[in-house]
Amino acid sequence: SPDFDDGGSKLKRLFSQPLYNIQTPELKQEEKLLQLEQLIEYYRRKVSHWERHKKLYDEAASFTNISLKEPKMTYDPDASWLKFHLGINRYALYSRDDPTILQLLWDMENMTIVSADYTQDEKALKGACDCTQVVKPSGHHLKLALKMHNFGKAMFKPMRQQRDEETPEDFFYFVDFQRHNAEIAAFHLDMILDFRRVPPVVGRRVNLTREVFQVAHNEDLRAVFFTSPANNTCFFAKCLYMCKTEYAVCGSPELLEGSLSAYLPGLTVAPRLSIPNPWKRSYTFAEREEWEVNPFFCDSIKQAYPYNSGNRLLNIIDMAIFDFLIGNMDRHHYEIFTKFGDEGLLLHLDNARGFGKHSHDEMSILAPLSQCCMIKHSTLLRLQLLARSDFRLSDVMRESLEKDPLRPVLTEPHLLALDRRLQKILRVVQRCVRRLGKDEVITRDFIKPTATP
Amino acid sequence: MILFRKFRVLILMVFLVACTLHIMIDLLPKLEKRAAGADGEEGGCQCAQHPGREAQGWGKQRARSAAEAGWPNKHTLRILQDFSNEPSSNLTSHSLEKSTAGGDRAGDPRGRTGPSAKERKALIGDASGARTASAQALSRLSALFEHPLYKVDLPPLTDDDTLFNVNNDIRFYPRATGNQGWHNEEGAEDEDEFSPTAEATAESYPNWLRFHIGINRYELYPRHSPVLDSLLKDLVTQRITSVAMKSGGTQLKLIMTFQNYGQALFKPMKQTREQETPPDFFYFSDFERHNAEIAAFHLDRVLDFRRVPPVAGRLVNMTSEIRDVTRDKKLWRTFFISPANNVCFYGECSYYCSTEHALCGKPDQIEGSLAAFLPDLNLAKRKTWRNPWRRSYHKRKKAEWEVDPDYCDEVKQTPPYDRGTRLLDVMDMTIFDFLMGNMDRHHYETFEKFGNDTFIIHLDNGRGFGKHSHDELSILVPLSQCCRVRKSTYLRLQLLAKEEYQLSSLMEESLLRDRLSPVLIQPHLLAMDRRLRLVLQVVADCIEKEGYVNVVEEDLSGDTANHRGPGHR
Repeated sequence: SPDFDDGGSKLKRLFSQPLYNIQTPELKQEEKLLQLEQLIEYYRRKVSHWERHKKLYDEAASFTNISLKEPKMTYDPDASWLKFHLGINRYALYSRDDPTILQLLWDMENMTIVSADYTQDEKALKGACDCTQVVKPSGHHLKLALKMHNFGKAMFKPMRQQRDEETPEDFFYFVDFQRHNAEIAAFHLDMILDFRRVPPVVGRRVNLTREVFQVAHNEDLRAVFFTSPANNTCFFAKCLYMCKTEYAVCGSPELLEGSLSAYLPGLTVAPRLSIPNPWKRSYTFAEREEWEVNPFFCDSIKQAYPYNSGNRLLNIIDMAIFDFLIGNMDRHHYEIFTKFGDEGLLLHLDNARGFGKHSHDEMSILAPLSQCCMIKHSTLLRLQLLARSDFRLSDVMRESLEKDPLRPVLTEPHLLALDRRLQKILRVVQRCVRRLGKDEVITRDFIKPTATP
Repeated sequence: MILFRKFRVLILMVFLVACTLHIMIDLLPKLEKRAAGADGEEGGCQCAQHPGREAQGWGKQRARSAAEAGWPNKHTLRILQDFSNEPSSNLTSHSLEKSTAGGDRAGDPRGRTGPSAKERKALIGDASGARTASAQALSRLSALFEHPLYKVDLPPLTDDDTLFNVNNDIRFYPRATGNQGWHNEEGAEDEDEFSPTAEATAESYPNWLRFHIGINRYELYPRHSPVLDSLLKDLVTQRITSVAMKSGGTQLKLIMTFQNYGQALFKPMKQTREQETPPDFFYFSDFERHNAEIAAFHLDRVLDFRRVPPVAGRLVNMTSEIRDVTRDKKLWRTFFISPANNVCFYGECSYYCSTEHALCGKPDQIEGSLAAFLPDLNLAKRKTWRNPWRRSYHKRKKAEWEVDPDYCDEVKQTPPYDRGTRLLDVMDMTIFDFLMGNMDRHHYETFEKFGNDTFIIHLDNGRGFGKHSHDELSILVPLSQCCRVRKSTYLRLQLLAKEEYQLSSLMEESLLRDRLSPVLIQPHLLAMDRRLRLVLQVVADCIEKEGYVNVVEEDLSGDTANHRGPGHR
C-alpha cells in the first residue's frame, strides 16, 4: 500500500523499493575501472601540461601587449569528475544514491568554463569534409568539448530544435537532428531503469561569447563564430555548413541552451572498444539488414561469439528496451570497457537522436527482444513496477526531469509516450512467455534480486 | 615488310568499320521513324504520330548539325532557347544541360506516357473555369488595366527595337517556320486558339517562340497579349519530355523541356507558405521560394514594368515527370523513398542539396514554379551588370554604399548611370525588390542588342517574400540616396496606394489565376501595402528636400526622346 509521508514523491518511493536496493557483491580491486594512484598521476600530468601551455599563451600575450584574462585553474583531488571516474565498476557507471553524481551535475551546471575546443572525433577529420556522404560521420555534428576550472570536461551539444518540434516524417534516422533534451532525458531514464550506463548529463544555458568564443584557443573554432543579422551570436559546424546541410546555431542574443555530458576517463587510462550492434540498420535509403527480413536472425546470433555465453545478449536486449523507450533508431555501435571483458557493462552513449517523435513507436527497435524472446529478470521486474500507477514511468520521469535547469526537458506527449511504449514492451514479453514459457524467457542474470516487490 | 603489310590491312579494316558505323548511325533514325510509325498505327493515336515523326527527323538534324558545327546549321530552333537564367552563366552557354537536352531530343520524344489528351482537357477546363469565376466578380484588376496610366503607348518600334526581326532572323530557322508539327500539336489541344489549317505564319509558332519574338527594347511582353496567357497555360499543361539539372546554380533548379520544345526553369517548393526566413539567416543563405518567383511575376505585371519572364506554378509528378524522363544520372541517383513512403530527391548543387534538405512529394506530387526561358544567349546576347548597391555577401564586411551617404553622387557620374534611363530603371528595380523584400539583387541583365537604352530584366526573384513581418529598409537605400523616380512609376505607385486599387487586393486577384493559388498568405499581401506606403514616404521626403522637378522624371510627355535621349539624369 502506498504511503504519502514522503511528500508524494513517487521517485523517492521508487528508489526505496527493495528492487532498487539490491546490493552488488563487494567490489574487488580488479572490478573497478581505475585505481586512485593511476588516476591522480594522470590528473597531475594534465595539470602540468596545462601550465606549460598557459605559460606559452602568457608569453605570446606579453609579446603582443594583450592582457589575457586567464581563468584560475585549480588542482582539486576531491573534484566530482575524479570521484565519478573512480566509481566506475564492472556493473555500472555509478552507484545508486552516490552523492558524487549530484555534485558532478551541479558542477557541470555552474562551474566556470575555462576552455572550449572541438571534440576528438571532429579533430580526427582534420578539416576534410566529404559532402557527398549520405551518413555524416559523428565528427560532422555540432558539439564542443568544454573544460571546467577543476579540469573536468564535458561535451556540449547545443539546442537544435524546439521542444515541441517533431522529426519530419520524411527524415531517415541517420539524418535526424541531435537533440540536447534527448541527451538529458536519456540520462534520467537510464537512472530510473536502474541501468546506470549513461554518463551524467545536465542542461545549461551557455553564454556563447563569454563561455565559448572567448575561451576558445583553437583558431578554426574561433573562425566559425559570427554575428547574425538579428544580432545574435552564432556558430556552426564547419563541415555541415560547408556542405550546406545545416545553418548555424544562434544564441539569443548570446545565451544558448544545450546539454553537458560528463566525459568518461580518457582512452589512454581506460581504453574502450566500440562494437557494431548486431541489430544495426543499413544506413542507406533502400537496403535492409538481415535482421529486418529474417525472423530467426536471433538464432544465428545466439550461436556467435560473444553472444553465445554470459550476459552479453541480455545486455543488448536491455539496450534495445532503453532505445525503444526513447525512440532512438541510431544505435549502430555500443561501447564496452576493455578492462571488464565480455561481462562488463554496455555503455549507452550518444542518445541525442531519441525523443524525436512522440506520436510514433518504432517497433523495429525492439527486434532483439521480440526475436530472441529473452529478458533479464531484474529488468522485467523493474519494468513491471514502472507500469504500476503508483510508480508510473511518466510520473517518475517528470519528477526526475524537474531537477534539471532546462525544465521542462520533455513535453507532455513525450512523457506519455513512455508509458505507452512500456506497455508495448510488456506485451512483447507476455507474447514470448505464452509461446516459450516463463523459464525460457525470463533469465536470471548475475545480480540476484534479494526480494520481489 | 610483312608486318607493314599486315598493318596496312589493319588500317583498311578500321576504316571500313568506321564507314559502316557512320552509315548505320545515319540510317538509325529512319529505322526508328519507321518503328514509330508502326506504333502510331497500332496505338491509333493519330494526333501524336505526326509530331513524333517530325521530331525524329529533327532530332537527326540536330545530331548532325552538332557534329558539323557549321554556322547556318547551328541555327536550329533549339538555340533560340536559353539554358541559363543565371547572370553569371552569360558566357558559358555550352553547358552540360544543352548536350543532354539535345541527346534527349535525338532519342525518343514521344515514347513516354504523359497524361492522356482527356486528362489534359480536364486540366485546361479547370483552369478556364477558375478564370471565368474570377472574372465574374467585380474585377479590380481589369479596372486597373483600364486606367489611363496603364494605357500609355510605347514609342513606334523600328527593326532596331525588336529583339528578333521576324522577316530576317526567323527565316534562318527553317525548322521554326517549316515544321508543321507544332501547330498540328497545338491545334489538337486548343483548337479555339489555333487553326490547324493555318499557314506557317508567326501565329503558328509555339507560344514560347512567339514570346521570344515579341521582346522589344521597352518590355518583355506587351500589356494585353494573348501569347502571354497561352504561354502561362503551356507551362502548366504541356507534357514534360525531359528534365536536366541546372549546373552552376547555388540552389537546386531543374530545366524542363516540353513537348513543343519550349523550356522552363523549375524551382521546387522548399518551404511552406507560412514559414518565414529565420531571423538569423543572412540574405545569401536564405532559401529560394517557388511562390516568390510566381508572385514576383504578378507584382511586376501589376506595376506595369513587364520585366520578369512569365512564371506559373505547377504540381509536378516526381516519378513520371522528373525521375522517369531525366537522363541525368546525378539527379536520378538522388531519388529515394522516405520512411513515410513519399518520393524524395535532393539533386546536386552547392546549397541545400543533401538528404537533410531532400524535397519530398505527397506521395509523389511536388509544387514548383516554372519560369519561361528567355531566348538563347547565342541568339540574343545579354549583358550582366553588377548592381552598384550590391551587398557585401560577407558575414562581417559592409558594402561601400552602406557607409557612404553620398554614394549615389558617385554612381550618377559613372557610365551607364550618367545618361539615359538606366538610373531610373535601377530605381524601379529597387522599389520592386523592396516590395517583395528581396535583398539578393547582386546583378541585373539587359539585352545586348539594345545597348544602354533598354529596360532591366528582373530575373531570379526567389528570395523575395521571405519575411512578412519585417520591412528591410536597406533595400530602399538606392532610392533614398539618389532621390530619383520616373513619373509614370510614381503615379502608378500612388494609384496602387488608393483604396480602390489597393495593391494587396490586386495581387490577390492576379495570383488567383495561378494553379497553386493561394500563392501568398495574407500577411505577405498586406506587407506590400505597408511597404508601398514606405516607398511613397521616401519619395515624398525626397521631393520636400530637393523639389519635385529634381526628383520626379517626366516620362509621360509621349515622345521617344525620353526613352533614348541623352542627358537624362
